[in-house]
Amino acid sequence: MATIKKIIPLNRVEGDLEIHLELDRDHVVKAAKSVGTMYRGIENLMTGRGPLDSLVITPRICGICTTAHLNAAAKALDMAYQVSIPADAHRLRNVTLMVEQMQNDLRHLFLLSMPDVTRPRYADHPLYAEAMARYQPLKGPSTVQTLQETKKLIEIIAILGGQWPHSSFMVPGGVVSVPSGSDIAQCRHILSSFRKWYEKRVLGCTLDRWHAVGTCDQLQDWLAEAVAHRDSELGFFIRFCLSAGLDGLGRGHDRFISAGGPDLPKPGGDIIPLFPAGIFTPAGTAPLDLEKITEDVTCSFFKKTPGHPFDSRTIADPYTDDERKYSWAKAPRYDGQPAETGPLADMLMADKPLFVSWVRSNGASVFIRELARMVRPAMILPAVEQCVAGMAHVDAQFYTDTLKPLSARSYGVVTAPRGILGHWVVIKDGKIANYQVITPTAWNGSPRDRHGIRGPWEEAITGTAVRDPDDPVEVEQVVRSFDPCLVCTVHAIMLS
Amino acid sequence: MSKTLYWIQGGSCGGDTWSLMNADTPDPVELFDAFDIDVLWHHALSVTSLKDLTLLNQRILSGDQPLDILCVEGSVINGPDGTGRFDMLPEGPRKDFIYDLAQRAWVVLAVGTCASFGGIGADTEAMAGGLQFNKWEMGGLLGETFLSSGGYPVINLPGCPCHCDVVVGTLSALATDTVVNLRHHNTPSDWYGVMVHQGCTRNEYHEYRVEEKQFGERGCLFFHMGCHGPLVTGPCNKALWNRRSSKTRVGVPCFGCTRPDFPQQYPFFETRNIEGIPIELPDGVSRAHYMAYKGMAAAAAPKRLMERKTSI
Repeated sequence: MATIKKIIPLNRVEGDLEIHLELDRDHVVKAAKSVGTMYRGIENLMTGRGPLDSLVITPRICGICTTAHLNAAAKALDMAYQVSIPADAHRLRNVTLMVEQMQNDLRHLFLLSMPDVTRPRYADHPLYAEAMARYQPLKGPSTVQTLQETKKLIEIIAILGGQWPHSSFMVPGGVVSVPSGSDIAQCRHILSSFRKWYEKRVLGCTLDRWHAVGTCDQLQDWLAEAVAHRDSELGFFIRFCLSAGLDGLGRGHDRFISAGGPDLPKPGGDIIPLFPAGIFTPAGTAPLDLEKITEDVTCSFFKKTPGHPFDSRTIADPYTDDERKYSWAKAPRYDGQPAETGPLADMLMADKPLFVSWVRSNGASVFIRELARMVRPAMILPAVEQCVAGMAHVDAQFYTDTLKPLSARSYGVVTAPRGILGHWVVIKDGKIANYQVITPTAWNGSPRDRHGIRGPWEEAITGTAVRDPDDPVEVEQVVRSFDPCLVCTVHAIMLS
Repeated sequence: MSKTLYWIQGGSCGGDTWSLMNADTPDPVELFDAFDIDVLWHHALSVTSLKDLTLLNQRILSGDQPLDILCVEGSVINGPDGTGRFDMLPEGPRKDFIYDLAQRAWVVLAVGTCASFGGIGADTEAMAGGLQFNKWEMGGLLGETFLSSGGYPVINLPGCPCHCDVVVGTLSALATDTVVNLRHHNTPSDWYGVMVHQGCTRNEYHEYRVEEKQFGERGCLFFHMGCHGPLVTGPCNKALWNRRSSKTRVGVPCFGCTRPDFPQQYPFFETRNIEGIPIELPDGVSRAHYMAYKGMAAAAAPKRLMERKTSI
């Protein structure tokens, strides 16, 4: 049977990604390959460097989740230096991490993802005119407002950490900054302004009203309840997705991994994570066991080394004649299986009934992934407010001195905007001997492994029907629903 | 008259784009609108289909579509072994495409340290280089003698990331045919004619040599913590970041990210010194006089600084 082969370089993703497709006569995707096309070789920068240098170099892996990399690097060094950081330092780190998550969620949706519905593919959809009015690139009011509101929000990271992107204010033992009472008050004002916008324009209701939506029926009731609900970004998004079939597009393996967190210090000394870490499948959940994480390079342009990140190495193999290899991304696996990560995984692990019941009945889709991303700030925002308020006391402490052991094996695992992010470091003779990063997009955009099992978005693309092979919007939407970040996927392995 | 703009990423983290999104009055949207800049392509903003992008690229390379301003974000990836195979487009190495685009542009901007000098990846097998420099050496992808059709060498806008005001200001000047004055390493003097140190709220600590030796202690970060503020130029403490603060103000040392050798081979967070005196002294000072001056200044330090009783 005749097939059409297509190579699609994707824009509006962070970094460099091509999707190689084979379509059948009916324009249904028969085979898909996710091809990371760039290798930055960050590893050699770290060769033999001091452990603290990871705090400067690893944030520069990614310009939009730079604080998450900093946090993972700092947590790995906290563990190496055997230090438990003060509660206020914990709060400050959490605030910046969560603020970065929220700006990313909203920028992804309204700058990078929703513009897809303004493309000619949807010109005959009844909501097309409304989509254009909202999301026309550089012009649509939703796009412009998102730019304005998110840049105000991340001023919080500058107040507490100096700048965004690319600061290095987290260090083993805590943070270097000592915010004043007025700094903290400024953060509260910014959050309060952001909450007003998010409730009014994005949700169309209060956080509390949204949190009362627990089932699919209640979602429909919420939509019908008020004009403000239907007209909000969330309301439009739900109306568009359900009428355009985006709830049936892009099902993956339906196996999810979440790093959980952030860990919220509570009065009395308890630390409670906002989201629990773990593995979710429709059959149930399991706790996260980091020992079960490995990386496979059968289809990646790297030489084979041990699979666990403490022991693996990244040795580029650009001239290989092994025809199985096709990507500069490695293939992370959990217990030998691929897993999807991101806000949907967080919602499922948090046992949010709307998401759990939806995925159990219908599987994951473009709709449910992006819905999770759009409402994740509703979960995060109260936790940020709580952490900021928690720092407002006169004897706040942000740093504690540490040991500096000459050798260690440690890790820092956090929830980055796009899902689970892990840094593994081996320190020998006071220098970095091995450093490996596994990013969320490495999980989601992984190539096949030695068993030929597809990565999550390869799986999600397969079977997608494309209307116009010259402009395969549907495939792009499936990939984009994972919020791809290919700049992160380049291997930040640092070898001695 | 309207100017066209094409933005391309090489070996990049995307940080320069997201830094640009920090801009305010004008934000990027207002800037493009007010100065009549026609964005032909930007990877994060354009909705152009693959077919139309391919056509656009062909029209630029053939000269049918005028290209006024080419912005390159990220390094030129030359590895492995000069082949560029570590960064491929479907039609070939990305470095070749950037080279061809630059030949058509009225002016070329290297946005960020990676595009300017190689930056992250310069000392790795990625062989990351800049457009017209490889670290301190002129040359790079386009060569020492390259001038765009507007008569400029590559205008370097270093910083990791580049501060949004620098990009907005440079684009504003170019869009209105205002001459951009360049100084060292072909950087615009408006933003690289000032030391990062200038405007730091810890300047009084520097003045009297009251030093920070432990994180969060409050003091000048230059003498022990590896701060490059007095060594390198950049607008961080003049323009501030996100309109709020800067790394040095909150206690993060300046890592010298605008300098061609960033990221430096020596450790961050510590000052290279000989018997307590930094090897690198503030830009242009006389070593003997500087040491005498700092000795006297330390002896004259006010008590409120010695006790760190300031609200910096």
